[in-house]
Amino acid sequence: MTSAPLVPNLFAVCEVLVLAIVWVVDQILYALAGLIPPLTGLAQWFDPVARARLGMGPLGSELLIVVVTWLIAVTVIVIWATLVNLLTMMWVERKFYSRLQDRYGIMISIWSLPFWPFNRAHRPTHRGTGYLQNIADGVKLLQKENITPRNADSAMFHISPVLIASSTLMIFAALPWSSGFYVANLELGILFIFAAFSLAPLGILIAGWSANNKYTLVGGLRAAAMLMAYEIPMILSVIALVFFTGSLNPLTIVKQQERTLFSLGPLAIPAWYVFSPQILGFIVFSVSMMAEMERIPFDIPEAEAELVEGWTTEYSGMRFGLVFGFKWLRMIAGAALIAILYLGGWSGPVFVTLSVGGVPVPIVPEEAWFLLKIYLISIVFIWISWSVPRVRIDQILNIGWKKLIPYSLGAIIIAAAAIASGLWAVG
Amino acid sequence: MTEFWINMGPQHPMTHGLWNMKVQVDGETVTDAKPEIGYLHRGYEKIMEVREFQKNVVLTDRLCYVSSITWSHAYCLAVEKMMGIETPERGQWIRVVALELQRIASHLMWLAAYGPDLGLLTGLLWALRERELFLDLIQLMSGARMNQNYPRVGGVRNDLPENFEAMCRRSIEHFLEKVDNEYQRVFQESKVFHMRTEGVGKISAADAIDWGVTGPNLRACGVNVDLRRLDPYEVYEEIDFEPQVWHDGGAGDSYARFVCRFNELRESCQIILQALEKMPKTGPYRVKAPRRAEGEGYAKTEDSRGEALFYVIGDGDDRPYRVKIRSPVFCTMAATPIMLRGNKLADSVAILGSVDVCVGEMDK
Amino acid sequence: MSAFEVIGSILVVINKRMVRAAFWLAMTLVTIGAIYLLFQSEFVFLIQIIVYAGAVPVLFVFGIMLTRRTIMDEPGPEGGP
Repeated sequence: MTSAPLVPNLFAVCEVLVLAIVWVVDQILYALAGLIPPLTGLAQWFDPVARARLGMGPLGSELLIVVVTWLIAVTVIVIWATLVNLLTMMWVERKFYSRLQDRYGIMISIWSLPFWPFNRAHRPTHRGTGYLQNIADGVKLLQKENITPRNADSAMFHISPVLIASSTLMIFAALPWSSGFYVANLELGILFIFAAFSLAPLGILIAGWSANNKYTLVGGLRAAAMLMAYEIPMILSVIALVFFTGSLNPLTIVKQQERTLFSLGPLAIPAWYVFSPQILGFIVFSVSMMAEMERIPFDIPEAEAELVEGWTTEYSGMRFGLVFGFKWLRMIAGAALIAILYLGGWSGPVFVTLSVGGVPVPIVPEEAWFLLKIYLISIVFIWISWSVPRVRIDQILNIGWKKLIPYSLGAIIIAAAAIASGLWAVG
Repeated sequence: MTEFWINMGPQHPMTHGLWNMKVQVDGETVTDAKPEIGYLHRGYEKIMEVREFQKNVVLTDRLCYVSSITWSHAYCLAVEKMMGIETPERGQWIRVVALELQRIASHLMWLAAYGPDLGLLTGLLWALRERELFLDLIQLMSGARMNQNYPRVGGVRNDLPENFEAMCRRSIEHFLEKVDNEYQRVFQESKVFHMRTEGVGKISAADAIDWGVTGPNLRACGVNVDLRRLDPYEVYEEIDFEPQVWHDGGAGDSYARFVCRFNELRESCQIILQALEKMPKTGPYRVKAPRRAEGEGYAKTEDSRGEALFYVIGDGDDRPYRVKIRSPVFCTMAATPIMLRGNKLADSVAILGSVDVCVGEMDK
Repeated sequence: MSAFEVIGSILVVINKRMVRAAFWLAMTLVTIGAIYLLFQSEFVFLIQIIVYAGAVPVLFVFGIMLTRRTIMDEPGPEGGP
């Protein structure tokens, strides 16, 4: 039995939320109308009962409410992606590599807060889980001065963090978190995500050039060269996958992977594309995605040993926080893409469905499976990146152009052959 | 692409210390390099002329802050030769143990710094973790983690503590296990590590000798030079060990330098174990050194970075008339442009990390 | 959109600094993509973004940086970072 989404429809949930808020506001308006009589009409406009008496349509169909619902849905996705997942991903990475290096890692937690009232004496402030460290770092970056170098091209220097951050957030407009938890269900969702990914090299190049610094310039050139070289095998391996899916809609692609491929005793192997002839494409895609995330074997754009901080050298304060922290957001997006395309997305067993007040609540919803897959993939990436040295720029380009592109072309040939021979049916 | 100069330093994550490496790059390829040193020049040779012989040990300790004992020992050896006194046998054995412990600690510091140079931060944390063992041993022996002030003219400051031998054996056993299982895997057996180090930063044996490169960097070129063998001081002739020389092809590159230093870690452990075995269990560890001396003393020792040389002249006063220090890194640094030319910019870090720079002794 | 495009393309031509011109070119190409979107041809829009916004200006800037003698206000080996 496959799992169900916890959020069956983001807009329905947001509309309930908006109507609840409107009800609260309406009660306040009625109370105020007792003092200021002209407010009564406004209060009645918001009141569903009064609207029905006056013969107006339901409140949910008003343009104002629809727009507010949209805004809240987008905000929910952005907060979910950045405030929840970005912080958790940073925490997972910092904690995980600290453990690899035989140390505790970050430890600032709720016990370390100066105004925490309970039981401070017996809670050492340096033995927390460290989840609040990233928030503390963010606050620190906000307090820091934003320095613009004197010789920098000021306009472009300021535009590029915006370009990088906004193009990264654009990914999440098309990235579904489950079969119900998404903003837009685009027919070309995967292509949209790649378009958003491919805007970043431009932003990085602008950032590197505009700071008028040799380190950033070399870093920006390296970043652009590398990201472009690795985008090609990535897109080629997705083309190989499209032979199998026949669609670029992430929801359709996940739906196709929900059936059982074959049973191995009590274990039902799902029809994930990683178990199909797409395995070569999966490897190429994962390696290119790792380069796209600028993780360590491929992190030459900001090789801190020779280029100080690469193309981010001249950024300070929260601008640095944006360009630096959004790397993790791209990592989440990349891991989510790998999960959607090759690892069955959010499909998984549900075990038990509870019923809370008549609403079915899955005990292991699709979102949980999806997050589990994202974090597992990310941990594998973190593991690799903290146990190998950095590869040199010419070697990276050699790997990209001479190894990955032929492999991804090979993946296309294999996929085409599998479809042509009837080994695997489209869709 | 247009050629331009990039300043690697004096404040740059690459420089292990305060010096400036000017690199001229054509795109990503290094066409020329200019080391610019002297930021840490403290006028050692002059300061030492106004201090008494015994008090100079405090200064020589600070020549290289990661390899204090080896430098102080070189100075003490030169002064002892000038004064014509001989360290008692147990003192010599203790010195050998101290020297090799310091060599391991120094090489581990190099290994720790070499990891981040290649982008491997895990190597830094692991190497520093094991360095802690050896710093603890040195602290047990001398009472300090850094700037130990341990060798004295005429011997060493104090005898070994009671349970030192057992602790030393235990630490070395643990350390050798880590070397074989962890460092070997994360450095030497890593394919990316081979990609980054093999064939880069090459220097021929003839060039290396011409420019005065010594120590592990010269042995990596295939030249069998180890002063502990060729010109034995203390009791090194009684110890059975093998100088780590690179014999295979591709001599003189970063990988060869890495392997020579890495194997010296193991070799030094064997030397310590042998020294603990052969050491006389009791006896004097120090003789009284005269306050005043006249004459010339000259000692060269195998420091962890190359040949350290001290030349001391006394004019009958209680302080040296003239001191000359030969720093191995100073000469190696002059040869780095040869290693860097023609390599990629990213490799300049890997090359400079592999020669093991210590600015303290370079600038004196 | 077309107004933006016209302004952008004029700026590409008249801009004296070549790197800036390349970035204006990127903006022009993105606005062309936006016009495709107004025609409700999403696929062409997305391909336009991937190819012409992601790759072509980057290649242009590469070409400029690899061929020019001075990329930036060169302080020489005696100063600057």
